[in-house]
Amino acid sequence: MYIRKVIIKNYKCFYGSFELELNKGMNIIVGPNEAGKSTILEAINLALSGIIHGKYLQYELTQFLFNNRAVCEYLASLKSEHPLDPPEILIELFFEIEDESLAARFEGTGNSLREKASGVQFRVKFNDRYQEHYSIMLGSNDDINSLPIEFYDYYWSTFARNTDITPRQIPIKAAFIDSSNNRLRSGSDVYISKMIHDYLTDEQKIQISQSYRKLKENFIADAPIDRINNLLEQEKLSNKKIELSVDMSTRDAWESSITTYLDEIPFSNIGRGEQCLIKTKLALRHRKALEASLLLLEEPENHLSYGKLNELLRYIEENSCGKQVIVSTHSSFVANKLGLENLILINVCNDTGERRKTRFGDLKEDTCRFFAKLAGYDTLRLILCDRPILVEGPSDELIVQKAYMKYHNGRLPIQDNIDVISVGTSFLRFLEIAQKLEKHVVIVTDNDRKYNEIQEKYSSINNITLCVSKDEKAYTLELQVARANRRNLGHLRSILGIPTDKYQDESAIAEYMFKNKVESAWKIFESDIDIEFPQYILKAVGVGNGEE
Amino acid sequence: MAKNKLLLAAAGSGKTSFLVNDARKVKDKRVLITTYTEENAKEIKSKFRGKVPANITIQTWFSFLLEHGVRPFQDQMHIDLHDVRIGFLLFSGLSGVKYRRKDGTPVYWGENQNFFKYYFTDDYRIYSDKISKFIIKCNEITNGAVIDRISRIYQYIFVDEVQDLAGWDLEILKLLFESSSNVVLAGDPRQVTYLTNHGYKHTNYRDGKIKNFIEEKCNSRRTRCEIDEETLSVSHRNNAYICEFSSAIFPDYEKALPCDCPDCRRDHIEHQGIFAVHPRNVADYCALYKPQILRYKMAKPPEMNYGESKGSTFDRVLIYPTEDIVDYLRTGNLEYIQAFHTRAKLYVAVTRARYSVAFVLDYESDAQLMTGISRWQNSIRSV
Repeated sequence: MYIRKVIIKNYKCFYGSFELELNKGMNIIVGPNEAGKSTILEAINLALSGIIHGKYLQYELTQFLFNNRAVCEYLASLKSEHPLDPPEILIELFFEIEDESLAARFEGTGNSLREKASGVQFRVKFNDRYQEHYSIMLGSNDDINSLPIEFYDYYWSTFARNTDITPRQIPIKAAFIDSSNNRLRSGSDVYISKMIHDYLTDEQKIQISQSYRKLKENFIADAPIDRINNLLEQEKLSNKKIELSVDMSTRDAWESSITTYLDEIPFSNIGRGEQCLIKTKLALRHRKALEASLLLLEEPENHLSYGKLNELLRYIEENSCGKQVIVSTHSSFVANKLGLENLILINVCNDTGERRKTRFGDLKEDTCRFFAKLAGYDTLRLILCDRPILVEGPSDELIVQKAYMKYHNGRLPIQDNIDVISVGTSFLRFLEIAQKLEKHVVIVTDNDRKYNEIQEKYSSINNITLCVSKDEKAYTLELQVARANRRNLGHLRSILGIPTDKYQDESAIAEYMFKNKVESAWKIFESDIDIEFPQYILKAVGVGNGEE
Repeated sequence: MAKNKLLLAAAGSGKTSFLVNDARKVKDKRVLITTYTEENAKEIKSKFRGKVPANITIQTWFSFLLEHGVRPFQDQMHIDLHDVRIGFLLFSGLSGVKYRRKDGTPVYWGENQNFFKYYFTDDYRIYSDKISKFIIKCNEITNGAVIDRISRIYQYIFVDEVQDLAGWDLEILKLLFESSSNVVLAGDPRQVTYLTNHGYKHTNYRDGKIKNFIEEKCNSRRTRCEIDEETLSVSHRNNAYICEFSSAIFPDYEKALPCDCPDCRRDHIEHQGIFAVHPRNVADYCALYKPQILRYKMAKPPEMNYGESKGSTFDRVLIYPTEDIVDYLRTGNLEYIQAFHTRAKLYVAVTRARYSVAFVLDYESDAQLMTGISRWQNSIRSV
């Protein structure tokens, strides 16, 4: 059982209808800031639980949940001839359910696509009961400058248009592990108590309630409390009986006053990293026959050390079989580990503000395995940047950046949305990803004395600029840099801080640089002294065509 | 066991208990128990003694039709219905009056003339006499998606008081017979008390002729439904006097017999039989025997209408007869009760009682009384 599609409309950054297909197992949502990654997770959790920011929606219902553009259009329309209806938030979850009977109960055409499907619809909308008040408000002369949120309510219905449904009856339970820091002041964390609730059998829950009841009885019977209560009684503060007791007013009173402890520390006070691990484990262990659990993990890299992150990812890898996991992340490490084939890129179209998504489902299996094993590669940088320049290593990276600065008024490439990324020898693997995105890539590589072979290797790939020197005698970056500066070797020597007598010619200097590779590139990068750059590097930074 | 079954049996023979027990036996599959009236739905719930298993849903017929028949695919009938919350209106007579002629006769909206006015009130409540037709049509348009969905949700569908179903309801039963669900119907053709008008569909199968419908219209291999009139043949509620008296109201049907098991025999109880009580003695009679009072209509609680009492059991009832029933009680001639539904309601009223049925009857002005009815004298006062 899993969510195969989600539709979000007028919620936070989503103006109009946004539709996203999800995989059965792992989903990794990546994208630039403000693309709405976390909002997607939040919306799914809201539609499944009615909970937002760790609290029930009724306490958190504000205008700011609505898409600002939709609200502005509505408010503007009130001053015009044709006022619009108050905007509504819509979140639809399309389920894939194996159990026929359960699937049929949620089945119908009551969704915005009018599609015969199983699922639930969650709406935050104007409550028609207040139509009269609303009309009076519109009729008054006061300007209306904000959404009349007091007339709003929220509703669930199945696609069969059954509105007698509460989150309890939705067969998918979400565990949302968010990166926000708002801890609850009292009681258990809503999520942890909800998850423990989902995890326990009914019988166990009854046992807890009964123990809690006994706690209350013991509390009242305790001599000091009894004395205090007698005292209160004598004070005659009211005609009614006043006493101290334990709150039993709600059905599951224990939930709000019992806290989970970990090594004698209340759950809410332990480190976020450990909390994150425990929540994840609870969610993945959830085993109820007719229920599924969904793990929503928001930027796990934010509050986990490298070691813990690795432990978490390994746990997810090993235990999530058959369970749906949706992760939002900025970390290439997370994305590589959890499988690039599960990547969903969300980005915002600059012109229309519309959200677009790209999937990587058909990357070669081999490529995905490669990055999963060598998870340190910056795959996400390639995916998220506007114009990538791929280079072999850190020394190439520094030289390319320096060359760029020389010809662009001292600006770093990244300031112009150009990202110089070291990829070792894995150019082709990265190019496969770039092809998916139809992204133009600049490749900077040594010729390794095989100019023709390299030309041949990239000849079939479209949308790239290959920057490689024809000069096979200068087959490394260092030889190339030395050659480019052969008319002014003194500059180079002083930048590198090496004596003339020991390093007389081009090849000696190149050899020195080769032996002190990154250190030398760093010195060039840091220095105020101008040097010349090889033609193929200049081509990469947009100067000349690479002809030597 | 046959996939589809119709169980016909007399009042008090334990039809509802039989259904409930059958439903209880189903484990791990979802079960629907449905019936026409709220009262009977409550009665069914009470038989579970507060513990309805999670896999069993008890719902009235119209509530079931609205939730599972109308709403899931409502927009397929008309796209403007996509976001409408369809409600329900119990309507007696024919709905959708367009206007009335000068002489007061109504002219109705046609379905093709105005879809919305034909099926719905102005606030989108679907008329009870059209709801089944809407569903049948919606099922056709969706290539059977409506019934398919229902049969996937409920592997077992039990319908109690099935004699109340008529018109397009019968078509729904037929489609359920064809579906993958097991369908068990139980009813008593003598107890048709809710004659909401079902339009012009299957008018010849009104008046408790569900058995004929199944024999004549559901006889293909796909729609076959077994008819069982033997399993429940004795009344556990009514004593011999009441069985005799009630059977006489429908002479064409098999006579009901009282159960003679030790649990059901209560010979030690006094004042058993059929009685006529003079209006001036009613207060004394009520004080002495505390009968449930039943009226043809307009009863105020705790009194009940005949029809409303269906499904209930009382030790004793006191019935206020209508004029045609009075004529019958005097003569024993059934021709006096022309209307089928009056007979059916009388049958229901009479068969509520375990021990005694009394009629309020001004019998002194006319000595004649049908055989089997005793005159009740207030022995205390006459002393």
